Amino acid sequence: MATIVACYKWVLDEEDLVINPDRSIDVSHARGKISEFDKSAIEATMQVAAQTGDATATLTFGTPDVRKSLKDALSRGPATGYWVGDAAACDADALVTSQVLASAIRTIDGTSLVICAEGASDTYARQIAPRVGALLDWPTVTSVIEMKVEGDSITATRKLDGCLETVTVNRPCVIAVLPAGYEPPIPGLKAVLSAGKKPLHELGIAELGCDPAPAAKVLSSQGFIANRRNVIFVDGDASDKVTSLVSALKKEGMLS
Amino acid sequence: MNEVLIYSDKPSLAAELVGFAREEEHDVTIVTFSPEEASELVGCGASKVVLLDGDSDIPENNARALAGLIDEWGVSLFAVGATPRGRDLAARVAGYLGCGMASDVSAVHLLDGKLSTERLMYGGAMVRSEEFSTPVVVTIPSGRFEAVRGVDSPLETIVIQPDMRVHLVEREPLSQEGADLSCAPRIVSVGMGVSKREDMALIEGLAAALDARIGCTRGIAEERGWVPAEQYVGISGVSVAPDLYLSVGVSGQVQHMVGVRDAKVIVAIDKNEKAPIFREADFGIVGDLYAVVPLLTDALVTAR
Repeated sequence: MATIVACYKWVLDEEDLVINPDRSIDVSHARGKISEFDKSAIEATMQVAAQTGDATATLTFGTPDVRKSLKDALSRGPATGYWVGDAAACDADALVTSQVLASAIRTIDGTSLVICAEGASDTYARQIAPRVGALLDWPTVTSVIEMKVEGDSITATRKLDGCLETVTVNRPCVIAVLPAGYEPPIPGLKAVLSAGKKPLHELGIAELGCDPAPAAKVLSSQGFIANRRNVIFVDGDASDKVTSLVSALKKEGMLS
Repeated sequence: MNEVLIYSDKPSLAAELVGFAREEEHDVTIVTFSPEEASELVGCGASKVVLLDGDSDIPENNARALAGLIDEWGVSLFAVGATPRGRDLAARVAGYLGCGMASDVSAVHLLDGKLSTERLMYGGAMVRSEEFSTPVVVTIPSGRFEAVRGVDSPLETIVIQPDMRVHLVEREPLSQEGADLSCAPRIVSVGMGVSKREDMALIEGLAAALDARIGCTRGIAEERGWVPAEQYVGISGVSVAPDLYLSVGVSGQVQHMVGVRDAKVIVAIDKNEKAPIFREADFGIVGDLYAVVPLLTDALVTAR
């Protein structure tokens, strides 16, 4: 039986990041979550498997902490969870991540379709699906909002700048989906409970033969601080505040 | 030679990328897969234009062949216009070359065989500076560099073998439902603080008084469907740079605010004094929008 593999990334919740006045970033209170876009990749995997009856799995690469993500990932439907947990993930760029994922995919028997999101919610670099496709030398179709799968043949609709493009491709291949086509449902209690019993497979970077050295050398990461005037009218009744605002906008030359 | 190689499926963006290379005095070549685009690109100031003739209707199908040429030519930097097709092709080329890539950079410099870049992360909350050895791939959005015009560059044609495993069935233009906000001088933007669809009339009245276009947050376009998707502003929507951006009921999440960073003046109206938008606004009113907006609309009509 063929297997469909959904790739996902365990990211810090951007809502929990705190930017200090010196522009350093405090991540100590940030919780992990499956990148929102990747939930759509898992949902797309389940929708395709419902059409084909194929086996389903998830695959992720992260720090050893990434193990925590498996229950959430598997509560979304896939039968098996593959994971690579290594401290090297801290510094991994898309070069390293795509090599780890492609090498892991080679070890998952019968993988005929890999589904990714366009990008992760932390880096949003949108490199993984095309890079994994290149490393496996499988055809890749990105920006997909709809797929019909019959046997090995996939008809996919892509949403690009100003056009919808319909293409066909045969498996094995890599597909990157846009969230618009695959809104992820919230897993039910039963699905969450059964996720804990699903089989997990840990893979190691060394056994996969991957070089964890990134191509990108990070020079600095700083919080973005907007340099705005912050003249906020809080007190008084609505008409006073409106008068103050209109007068400020006039001074700025915004109303001429 | 072949220091910088440029590709974009939008010729105007390819021309901007030549502007980047010329600003830093690099030798620059443009590649294209379309004879029509090639004739347009010869006037863009590159040292040469190379038409890669592969007879595929899908530009991305040429990635593997192009990676081979980049390797053969000893290209230092492959700079690609950041469009959906461009990002896809660029990342495939980086995959085939096994090299680094910086996506959607806000700043980029190539000096002494090193590429330094800046890009946003976490939906714009963080600015990350990185450095790469060459060869390296980068995608650059439009609006970062000025296009240059030059004397016609020589055009060369090379026959390549595309990867034909993805077949084009059909391509249909997407009808543009919404307004184009990218050049609007004034924008009134709606957020989830506006509770009922009927209340859009209030917003339309305010926009009319300001002669402004209407924008919105992702929730208003995608969850509530009150405003066409082309008009939502933010990291996954449009980026805008109006003189005046006036938001109503917008809390100011970073994914939205990253799309308005280039606005000259940002004004916020929201009832929650602690809403993050007030930290990123030039002027603001803390108050009930249902009381403030009608008064503001009247005052603006009088003021103009």
